[in-house]
Amino acid sequence: MVIRIAAVGDVHLDEDVVGRFRPALEELPECADVLLLAGDLTRHGTEAEARCVAEEFGGLAVPVVTVLGNHDHQCDQVPQVVKVLEDAGITVLEGNGVVLDCAGGRLGIAGVKGFGGGFAGRCASDFGEPEMKAFVRTTTDSADRLGAALRSLDCDMLVALTHYSPVPDTLAGEPLEIYPFLGSYQLGQAIDSAPTALAVHGHAHAGTERGTTPGGVRVRNVAHPVIKQAYSVFHVGDQLDTDQVSPIGQSGSQRSWS
Amino acid sequence: MTHHRDIDAGPPDEYVEAEIQRLLVEDPAVAEQGITVVRRERALVLYGEVESPHRREEILRRVSERFPDVPVTSDIGVIRAQAPTEIEQLP
Repeated sequence: MVIRIAAVGDVHLDEDVVGRFRPALEELPECADVLLLAGDLTRHGTEAEARCVAEEFGGLAVPVVTVLGNHDHQCDQVPQVVKVLEDAGITVLEGNGVVLDCAGGRLGIAGVKGFGGGFAGRCASDFGEPEMKAFVRTTTDSADRLGAALRSLDCDMLVALTHYSPVPDTLAGEPLEIYPFLGSYQLGQAIDSAPTALAVHGHAHAGTERGTTPGGVRVRNVAHPVIKQAYSVFHVGDQLDTDQVSPIGQSGSQRSWS
Repeated sequence: MTHHRDIDAGPPDEYVEAEIQRLLVEDPAVAEQGITVVRRERALVLYGEVESPHRREEILRRVSERFPDVPVTSDIGVIRAQAPTEIEQLP
């Protein structure tokens, strides 16, 4: 069983970006069963910017599943943004999941935006001022909803989709001082509470691609500035052709280190 | 948005660095969280990547407008958006 997952986050669309991703997106059916968007689809979270996202990522030949990011909340137009995306056929997750029938099996995707808080031993605590308790409880609530969504899905393969990072590994390159604003260990704990095969996130523009949760789940930071291509493609499964690390399209450029 | 105090001519200090960093995020014309401001002896250098050439120009324009006496140089790139040429296998 092999399921092919394409993913990108932090595309920050507005009128000046529309059309840049589309040529690469048209190639998706050849290389992926689904496209995951890891939040920060827009710059300020306006309905107009959401229409740019709908134009760029709507009407593709593969299902598109997304979570929102912090930028998508900036103008307090989340319901309008979600409606524009859903009208374009994009599935928006927040504390829930979806199961897709792919050629390689049933792919379950659970998603939340997530929130900050920091990582084990260096994190904020649910203590003190109301503002601090509200901050930490936002994270805890988000992680609880992610864990419940992951455990509820009946599928052959399980993927977690967040905007904030569940692990510090994929933040390497970011200043240590801002880690608590980039993710939280509770998201990792939620991912480890289910038989998750892969966790995908964005948000950390200066981070790195690869990490694992304490429970051994692979984590990938797919923020656009990190992957530096329209999307990354992961083939997840137990019958992979080990020789197949090969070109999947004609466009783009070869990486010298591969 | 925070009110930015007037800056006297001279080497950029830590507060200017902080104010520029916040300007880059909080100014609606910029709204970039991924730009790094590095304080050098003679100038502030902006590093990072954005989604379009227009955004790169806008960053420099807004920073120069707000801090006309602060020497700023930029090394901001536009992120490539080509299709990937390779996959990652995750057994």
